[in-house]
Amino acid sequence: MFTKAMIIPTGDELAAGIVLDTDAPEIMKNLLAINGSAEVVRIAPVIDKEEAIVNKIKESAANGYDLIVLIGGSGGGHRFSTTLGKDYTHSSLDMILSDKQEGALYGKNGHMWSKLVIGKLGDTLVFNVPGPYEEATATIKAFKDSYKKDSHNLEEINKSMLEALKAKYGA
Amino acid sequence: MNGADDNKVIVQVDKTVVKITGVDVKGLNIQELESLLKDKLKSMVRIIGVTGSSLEMDVYGIEEEDVLKEENGIIKAVALADGITLTDLAQISSVNKIKTVDINDVPSYSEGQCMKERWL
Repeated sequence: MFTKAMIIPTGDELAAGIVLDTDAPEIMKNLLAINGSAEVVRIAPVIDKEEAIVNKIKESAANGYDLIVLIGGSGGGHRFSTTLGKDYTHSSLDMILSDKQEGALYGKNGHMWSKLVIGKLGDTLVFNVPGPYEEATATIKAFKDSYKKDSHNLEEINKSMLEALKAKYGA
Repeated sequence: MNGADDNKVIVQVDKTVVKITGVDVKGLNIQELESLLKDKLKSMVRIIGVTGSSLEMDVYGIEEEDVLKEENGIIKAVALADGITLTDLAQISSVNKIKTVDINDVPSYSEGQCMKERWL
């Protein structure tokens, strides 16, 4: 069971104050529902650069956070539209996590809508949720339910989060 | 299982990507904007990109021409959201329905490319 959790929102649009972060309160609510005695911290948004995201994850893990949740940057849109948010969260996690599990949702045109990754950095459990509010809410609830059942079964946690995400599209 | 064993799910949903320009955006609650647009279009809407002067969204289950017919209503709905101010140039600047895929005509794959993005 985690005792210190860090919530890391990502996105240039969040960092610039163009959009509000409505996801982090939902993430915090669900984490506290798992462990009400945990310390849960939300830091200032991190810009959409892999180096910045990776550094913040490593810094948080080194400071004793045993659970890290990243918000946003889970899609593949920036490669096709320069004005879309940069999706570097999942690629950052791919680079640094071990024992990781991944699941991705694709549209029927082959475009990757969202990739969910969960894994370990040392003793710290790290995972991401998508940025859209309803998707973030659905996936963190799925995390909560499956983590409470078996916090070590990352494959099942990842699978349940992907199923919850898929359900948001009526699929 | 290792991360190399990706779990991939294909979602069979039609969507149209709509871009609105000519807006000033600061402190936008995306959830509120999605709700306003959902009420207007009677369909699911996802805001996928926001800058200080533009919005991009996925609209599900509505054809391009129907989005364009509703341009004025969509712009008015957008204007109701906190954090958005319309300029005189506010407009729908692009509407693009996603491509459909012929399963019998899958494009070739080049190294380093995402397998699922060959059709784009």
